[in-house]
Amino acid sequence: MKHTHSVLLITLLGLLAISFAAAQTPQAAFEQPLLVTSAGQSSGDAQIALQLAKRAGLAATLSKSGTGKDLENQKTLVLVLGASMKGLGAAGLDSNKEKERVRELVAEAKKKAIPILAMHLGGGARRGELTDEIINEFLPSAKAAIILKSANADGIFSKLCQSKAIPLVEVEKSLDAVEPLKKFFAK
Amino acid sequence: MKRAAVLGLVIAVALFAASCRPQKAEVAAPPADRHVPYNYAGTQGMVVAAHPLAAQAGLDMLKSGGNAVDAAVATAFALNAAEPFASGIGGGGFMVIHLAASKKTTVVNFREKAPAAAAPAMFRDKGEAQAEWRQERGTAVGVPGMLAGWAYALGKYGTKSLAQAAARAIEIAETGFPVSATFSQINKDEYEKLLKNAGEATSYLNGGIPYEPGDVFKNPELAATLKRIVRDGIDVFYKGDIAPKIVAAVRAKDGIMTLEDLSAYRPVEVDPLQGTYKGYTIFAAPPPAVGGLHIFQLLNVAERWPVKDWGHNSPAYIHHMSEAMRFIFADKEHYDGDPDFVGLPLSRLLAKEYAGLVRDKIRADRTAAAYGFGVFDPVRDKKENTTHVGVVDKDGNIVALTQSINDFFGTGIVPEGTGFLLNDHMADFATDPASPNAPRPNRRPVSNMGPLIMFKDGRPVLTLGSPGGTRIFPSLAQILINIIDFGMPLDAAIEAPRFFSYSVNGKVRDLSVEPRIPEPTLAALKALGHTIALKEPYDKYFGGAQGIMILRDKNKLIGGADSRRDGVGAGY
Repeated sequence: MKHTHSVLLITLLGLLAISFAAAQTPQAAFEQPLLVTSAGQSSGDAQIALQLAKRAGLAATLSKSGTGKDLENQKTLVLVLGASMKGLGAAGLDSNKEKERVRELVAEAKKKAIPILAMHLGGGARRGELTDEIINEFLPSAKAAIILKSANADGIFSKLCQSKAIPLVEVEKSLDAVEPLKKFFAK
Repeated sequence: MKRAAVLGLVIAVALFAASCRPQKAEVAAPPADRHVPYNYAGTQGMVVAAHPLAAQAGLDMLKSGGNAVDAAVATAFALNAAEPFASGIGGGGFMVIHLAASKKTTVVNFREKAPAAAAPAMFRDKGEAQAEWRQERGTAVGVPGMLAGWAYALGKYGTKSLAQAAARAIEIAETGFPVSATFSQINKDEYEKLLKNAGEATSYLNGGIPYEPGDVFKNPELAATLKRIVRDGIDVFYKGDIAPKIVAAVRAKDGIMTLEDLSAYRPVEVDPLQGTYKGYTIFAAPPPAVGGLHIFQLLNVAERWPVKDWGHNSPAYIHHMSEAMRFIFADKEHYDGDPDFVGLPLSRLLAKEYAGLVRDKIRADRTAAAYGFGVFDPVRDKKENTTHVGVVDKDGNIVALTQSINDFFGTGIVPEGTGFLLNDHMADFATDPASPNAPRPNRRPVSNMGPLIMFKDGRPVLTLGSPGGTRIFPSLAQILINIIDFGMPLDAAIEAPRFFSYSVNGKVRDLSVEPRIPEPTLAALKALGHTIALKEPYDKYFGGAQGIMILRDKNKLIGGADSRRDGVGAGY
């Protein structure tokens, strides 16, 4: 009898958690087409975001070093947060130049009233001083965020999103981000 | 009561099982924080490698009666399955072997070769697109030497068969293993290249997306390829069924390799390069592996400096060492090439007198205005991104093996149905067609690898090596100085914060540092004229060194493995 009660309680809590997560995914918050770019030149992560968007059936374009001009005809800016020294080197950028590029891009998006969806797909391994600077500076400009749970072990995303009332979706694996993406872009 | 009985039985079985396990030489387990220095210990044999499954494959080979060469080849095969992004049968390398009985030290050079159709300006002519042609197109692929080198070493110095050496690798590729955070991050970093060249369906991606930590990575196609090689011999790779698949994959991506290039490949056995530092004698792979050459140059310059008085990673130490690196890079740029085709002034570059001239150019109070290469008389001497494996066996035989497919995941090109990645070592040739290291037919590109074995009074005391491209020689020299001058235990010497600098055309480049070097030190270095480039606290950029220290008087082997990658030791 006791056992049955426990199972029921766990099931109920589970259902509550799922409905809470579903409620956190706003409906039709973003529109297509979307421009995917990196903030920090973790170009592999940006490529993953593009693939996930395609799997969600979205019209997406990748520009690793996107500028304001790339926002022409776009309705959403996907900012993939995460610094890569290798990526910065390959792009011929230092961290200051990269942050300046992203600042200008975000400013242009705001000017054009294009909402920003922040993503962090590198997990715990893609954290560090520069990545944290990028998260702290650019995450507050986002209308929503999707991240790998392992990147939020210290609660950096939770704290920032909570303070700015930004809906945050945590997923275990990159592929799990496809469903939240579908919901974000659902008509 | 029943539960208590079951519990008691379980404990008893567990205790019995534990008592049956081989006794570990060191009781303490590795710390949870992998960056905390930890010395693996053994008394009879030790293997250090960049993946636990590979180190275990080598250890099992030692325990089953194999010698150091058998264990090194078993470890190398296993790395192809467990750390496929860093090395494999599509690449090449260098193996330094010390035979205890004959006190002979020798080197097997199985570096890739340029195809016969290579030409000096083949990359320069691509203009701004040359990086892609050097690293991701078929032109990037050098003729692989790995299998030929392993088979040569095994046949001449080993005691086991190719089948025995490859068995664990086949098992790992078939059954798979959960990927580490390191594997996952590198997989994500190289995602674009893999999508482009290996395609969404490749086993190097998980349903078309990079692997997350904990995902199980299997490579059944590699297992099948290795089984073919074991059954039919390595000729199936160089002359048989696999060869046309390699050529087709390379040429489909605009490459120039032919079946003749593959069938003509041969490894070579050469004498090691020798250097000294403060009473120690060091044997390393010779050019075209230039890691050893430049380690010796750097140590020669540092030998007369009061590094101990300056202090480890003090401003004076980092400043002087960085300046020396920049002068050595000027020599590297000017002289390095394949010694089979170009004369290298090795004895001049390695002379202690020349090191004195370099020291004289280095000012304590500022960086140099320019970094010139050494100018020697015109008579030259006659021909006299990677993973590292170190093995010491119970008889005192030693192997230092560094092998690579160059960039992580190489070119990303996988010959159809084979499961192995092809290297991009053609990228190690120089852009300038006039360089001694310009691509030319059948030449081996200069390699930065520097596997080494160090001796004191004729007895081996240390084997060491690292991946890391141009950072290899500065990193290995720092580790050796950490041990010899600063008295650090092996793994502390490996984990200590590193720095690196270089010069291009005589002009200074940034001083890259791990930010564990304190801010006041960095401020002092900036005041001396260095531009600081901060890397990650434990950055793979600086390599992933593995070493074994041989404490003969204590009958002890100490293994050190770098936490910048997934390095571990396994001893008994």
